[in-house]
Parts: sequence; structure tokens; C-alpha cells
Amino acid sequence: MSFKRLGKGLGLAVGLSMLSTAGAYAQGEGPELVIAAPTGQVGTLDPHKAVQNADTAPISWMFNALVRFKPGQTNPATIEPDLAESWTVSEDGTEWTFNVRRGVKCHGNGEEFTAEDAAWSIKRASNKETSTFAGDYVDFQDAVAVDSHTLKVTLKKPLVSMPGLLANYHGGFMLCRSTAEALGGDFASKPLGTGPFVFAEHQPQRFLRLTANKDYFRGAPQVGQIIYRYMPSEASRDLAFRSGEADIQAGRNTDDWVERAEKLPNAKVVALEPAQLIQIYLNVTRPPLDDIRVRQAIQYAVDRDQLVSFVGKRVSRPAVSVIPSDNQGVAKFEFPKHDPEKARQLLAEAGYPNGLTIKMVQSNVASNLRPMEVLQQQLAQVGINMDMEVVDHTTWHTKIRQDLSDITFYAASRFPVADFYLTQFFHSASIVGKPTAVTNFSHCDVADADIEAARSEQDVQARDTFWHDAQRKLIDNVCAIPLYELTNAVVWSDKVDLGYDMVGSFTLLPDITEKVRANK
Amino acid sequence: MTAYLLRRLVWGLFTCVAVLTLVFALLRIIPGDPAQAMLGDQASQGAIEALRQQLGLNDPLWQQYVTFMSGVLTGDFGRSMSSGQPVLGQILAVLPWTLELTAVSFLIASIIGIPLGVVCASRQDGPLDQALGAICLAGISFPPFVSAIILLLLFSIQWNFFPVISDGTGSFGAWFGAIFLPALNLGLIKAAYVLRVTRSAMIEVMNEDYLRTGRAKGVSPRLLIWRHAFRNALLPIITIIGVYFGNLIGNSVLTEIVFSRPGLGKLMVQSLTQRDYTMLQGIMIFFTILVIVVNILTDLAYAAANPTVKLK
Repeated sequence: MSFKRLGKGLGLAVGLSMLSTAGAYAQGEGPELVIAAPTGQVGTLDPHKAVQNADTAPISWMFNALVRFKPGQTNPATIEPDLAESWTVSEDGTEWTFNVRRGVKCHGNGEEFTAEDAAWSIKRASNKETSTFAGDYVDFQDAVAVDSHTLKVTLKKPLVSMPGLLANYHGGFMLCRSTAEALGGDFASKPLGTGPFVFAEHQPQRFLRLTANKDYFRGAPQVGQIIYRYMPSEASRDLAFRSGEADIQAGRNTDDWVERAEKLPNAKVVALEPAQLIQIYLNVTRPPLDDIRVRQAIQYAVDRDQLVSFVGKRVSRPAVSVIPSDNQGVAKFEFPKHDPEKARQLLAEAGYPNGLTIKMVQSNVASNLRPMEVLQQQLAQVGINMDMEVVDHTTWHTKIRQDLSDITFYAASRFPVADFYLTQFFHSASIVGKPTAVTNFSHCDVADADIEAARSEQDVQARDTFWHDAQRKLIDNVCAIPLYELTNAVVWSDKVDLGYDMVGSFTLLPDITEKVRANK
Repeated sequence: MTAYLLRRLVWGLFTCVAVLTLVFALLRIIPGDPAQAMLGDQASQGAIEALRQQLGLNDPLWQQYVTFMSGVLTGDFGRSMSSGQPVLGQILAVLPWTLELTAVSFLIASIIGIPLGVVCASRQDGPLDQALGAICLAGISFPPFVSAIILLLLFSIQWNFFPVISDGTGSFGAWFGAIFLPALNLGLIKAAYVLRVTRSAMIEVMNEDYLRTGRAKGVSPRLLIWRHAFRNALLPIITIIGVYFGNLIGNSVLTEIVFSRPGLGKLMVQSLTQRDYTMLQGIMIFFTILVIVVNILTDLAYAAANPTVKLK
């Protein structure tokens, strides 16, 4: 074949390929927003069952809640009306009356969203058969529609997490009963809500398409449709963003990624809140960690600054407590400085002058394994040999819940009210192995009384004191050693105008509201 | 021939049952809890237990096995544990993507690998043979996800010829844009294997007496190579292509992930992460059937390529 013919063939190929970029998706009216999502595909789109961030992001664009976090914010202080226009609380804090907004239309059938729908949604979120988050609502006694637009929620006792439990997070999303019941089992794969975007189609392993809800009560969205591309490969997401095929991309939480993304033309990069708190939980019931001197030795052996430098100063910061620093009720502590000599001395006092070996099960996910390896080296310097059994992430989740790891390296963020983190990680009911277990790997129960007292304390100052005391006790007992906090890098094209200040998002992607513009 | 096919199909059935039993057992042996994976890290132990009960994971193993096998025999592959959607529907939605990628890659591998293998054999130890040998070594050693990124950087970012997201449909242009780079990525690597096998098979045949006689009688080299030598060298080439075809179906997962294409491999990895037993079992049924079919077709190709081969 001559080079001329080869060139012609290549030209044809190129010509054909140019066609391929057009018409990739069914067209909606208005500009299209393509979001490169870090997932193989969504799992469930049922708001009361979805736990993965990749699932909760599109859910948050399709559904509303009674109240919502201000777009771009994750601070509970920013909570503002959503489907509820206003609300009042009884003096004892157990009766919440919501005035449900009029004129909100359900996707699909166009019926009006009413207080009946809201009451039904709350009951659905409280039912363990229909909700993953039923445990969050155990103190909800009842939810009834007083009339078509007045909802009364009765609590068994005042709750510090109200009205946050009815915000656009997990079980707080509101469903239209008529459409949810009509869809039945299909609701989880093609849900209908009341939000700015409506489910249009799901192409397995390819994309989810949402179209603008022209009847949205805050006004028709500026974006015509959202293409939520399933792209598990980070490198491919990077390339799709560079080529202009994606407008918004979930990034990698490292400094080099952030710096590289910042150099791209027309890109805006933000390290999003809420940051995950990374700490190690020490099983205080099992030798040698049942000796507080050993736990203190580990605390002195840890060099937080080195860990933060390793992970990256643009995306991480030293931890300040045993709960994340953005939590309502956090107290900020000064931890003992890195002091290997002191660590060795404590080990010798505990009867381990020649060091000791501690077994742990460790996830093979790079973002967990690599910092843990740095920590392993830090501990080795004082004579603590970390015997790590590295397993795949799913196996790791199972093994640590079977109480097979003496030290557990864990990263998590929760609803940003101290009660959530303290309860799940430090209350005795959450100790792994118990029927009520969640993620208390340390087996610590020293803060139970304070955690419980804070839950129903009405006085803000007194409540904060309980929370601060709880954190102090957990730190004094070295139940866990907080290491650092890790934010979530995201990049979007300057063709996209979010219309709000982007500080954080529970879904780790920007909120796509009706005001978001895609100038394409 | 009919008796042969029937016997192979019966054996294929046994193979399917054996593979499925093995997969069923292996999935239950590996640690990791589907209920835990589905409910996430904030779920209480009580919620996890309730879901295990609902999914039938607390039933005795023999009962789970009987339920699974009787479902398979009646064509009911069950529902995905993680999404709740029918397994068969999810597999059939991505199967054409995998078959298409495998077929086009296989075509590229054959078109490049076979003629170059023949050329190398006919110029054994010459500069071209040595150069192609070195290229093959590099091709075989190259991880497909690295070559995939390089292809994307060149063709999609540098030259803007093809999209990064390779899953276009609806027109020939879209299809071509979607298939070209992923198929090239897999095809080039497999071409290196095919080239090496073709070369060694040809070299062996070309040392046979009848070819020396042909040369002595003045038969043209081209005729000698393509008509007399190549046909006799085809059997090992067909074998290796058959094996690679089966491999390609399973090995395409990294290519599918990097080029953002749907596919069985990707579905399998995702299901494994989720410990979605029902989905994994369903995928394995399809993989097993595909490999059995490819093996039977390979045997039939033997007979077509060389009449001295009798299928009994």
C-alpha cells in the first residue's frame, strides 16, 4: 500500500471519527452538562437506600428534602427551606411543624407534592425494610399530615440532629407516594422525584441521562440535560476533561493531581469539604493495646506532619480531634508532639523494652495502604512492628467488622454533627461484634454517658460541653489516634457557572441546581 | 461429524455444571459480605443481618446451590444482589459490546500477525525478522492499560482523531470512532502473539522434505510459502487463535475500563467488588458457554483447514 493510499484511508477514518463525537446522547433542550463520575455504574437510585457517593450525586439532583444545605455548603448552620417553606418547634423540642411549599410538582404525573407525601417519605425512611438509614430515625415517633400542606413530626425526645435529619442527605429526601408506588420495584432504577432534573435513561456501564424539569418550583434549570458518565478510570476521566468531553470531573486527592489540574486551561479546581477524618482505632480490650502505655507510645511514635506532607498539604491537614473538624460540636486538641524517645520509654515501662508486634488487617486501596505504610515505618522506628495482612477492600470491611484487626486504619466523614461520628465510632452499642455494631473498632465505652446526654440536651452550650467532654475522654484514653483530614478534589470547566460558592458537597461533586449554567 | 458435535455439546454441558459448581463454591469461600458491600460502612450489624436473611445468604449452602442450579436449568439467572435488576438483562445489555470488541481485536490481530509471521519465517534471522521479533517482545510485555493511555493521548488528545469515551452508537462513524482505539489496543498486543506462533509454525513446516523437493523443482517461493507451507502450518495457528479468542473475552476488562466501554469483564470486576454472587454466577455461565463454543469452532476449523484431520 502506498503512503498516499494509507493517507486517504487515515483521512477517511478521521472523517468518520469526527462524526462520532456528535450525537452521542439523545438531545435535550438547552446545553448539556457532562459529568465524569468515578464509578462503573450507579447501584441504586432509591434515595433511602443509596450509600455510595456515585449514587447519591444524581439522586441529589432529582430529589428535594424538606430543608436543604445551601448549595455548595455542608455546614448545618447553612440549612435553609426546601420543600418546607418554614417550620416551628415546640418548646420541649419534640414537635416539629413544617409548612409544605405549594405548587411543587412530582415528576412523571405532575401531581402536587403534599404533606401526605412528606409524612409517607419520613415513614419510609424510618422503616428498615425500605431504608438503609432507618437507624437514624429510631427516635421519630410519628409523622402526620395535619392538612394538605402542614406536616407534624413528633419525636420521642429532642434531637440535636434536627432539622438536619430532614435535609437533602440520605434518608431526608422526599418522595411522591403516587409515583414511587406506581413504579414499585423499578423505582430504584428509574426514580421520579421533585427536583430540578428528571430521570430520562440509564445505559448500563455507559451513562445516566437526566433532563431539565421545566416545572421545577424554583424555575426551569439553565442546563438542558445532565450526562452522568460512568468512568471508573481516573486517567480516562482526566483525558475526557482535557479533551472537553467532560465538563466536571471527580479528581484524585493528591497535591500533584490538584497542581496538574490547575495548570489546565479554563479549569477550576477545589478541594471539597466534608473532609474525611483518617485515624487509627486501637482495640483497647486486647493485649498489648489494653495497656494505655502502649497506646500512648503509639501516639508519640506518630508523626502527623510527615503524614500530611506525604499525602499532600493542598488536600490534607492535621486532625484536631477524634471527630472531623467541620462537625458541629468539635473541640480542637493539641496532641503530643512526635517523640520517638518518649515512645520507647513508655514501651519499656509497659514491659516491651525490645519492642512488640501488633497485627492488623489493612485494605489494599492505595489511598489507605500508602499512608498506613508510612505509619508502619514511623512505628517501626520505636520498635513497634506492624504485622499487616493486606486484603482487598471488600474483604477488609468484613474482617474489621469481625474484630480481626487490633489496629484499624479508617477514613470516614459523617453527617457533620458530633453525635453521628461519636455514636458510630465510640459508643459501646456500636462495638464491632455486637448485634447493634456499626464501626466502634476500639471497643471504647468511656464516652457513652456524655454522648447520650448530648443527644437530647436542648441547651447549646451544655450540649457542646458534653461533646467536648466525650472527645477529651476518648483522647485521654487513646481509643483512637487522629492522623489527618483529607478533602476531595474536583475540577470543572470555566464554561460551567455553578452560580454559588463551592465549598463542599456531601456527594463529592458540585450540586447541580437550576441556576447552574453551561456556556457551550 | 454430527456425532462429534453432539458429544462435544454433552461434554460442554458437563463442563458448564462443573464450572458453575466451582464458581459457586469459590464465591462462598472468599471473604467479603455482599450485604455489607451493599449497605455501606454506616450500616449496623442488625441491618446487615436482616439483608443477609432477605438475600438468602443465611440459608444452608446446599439449599443455595439447589436454588441456583434449578434457576439456571429453567433459564432464570436470578436478580443482581446489588442492583435488584435481572442478571440476564444486565449481561445481555453488555454482551454485544464484549463480542464486538473481541471480534474486531481478533481480526486486527490476525490481519497483522499472520502475514507478518509468514514473512518473518520466510526471511528467518534476517533484519526484518529480528526487528519484528523485538517489536513482538515489546508488544507482549506491554501492559494493555498503559498502551491504552498512550493511544488515547496520541489519537484523542494530541491529534483529536477519536473521542476519549469510546462507546458511540447510532451511526457507522460513531461505531468506528468507538471501536477503533480499543480494538487496536487489544489487537496489536495479540498480533504479537499470533506473529510469533505463525513464524515458528511456518519455520517448522518449511524444513519439511516436500518443500525442499518443491524448491528443487523450481516452484516459485510465493507459491511454495502460501499454498504449500502456510496451509500445513495453519493448525497451530488456529489453536492459538482459538485460545486467544477465549482470553480476549476475559482480558478486555482493562481496555473496557480505560476506554469507558461497557463489557462483560467490567461487569465482572464490579460484581466481584460488590460480592454480587448472583451476577458473578450469571457472568461465569456466559464465559463458559463462549469458551466452549469457541473451542468447538476451533475444532471445526481444523477439519476445514486440513482434510486429513477427522473429527470423531
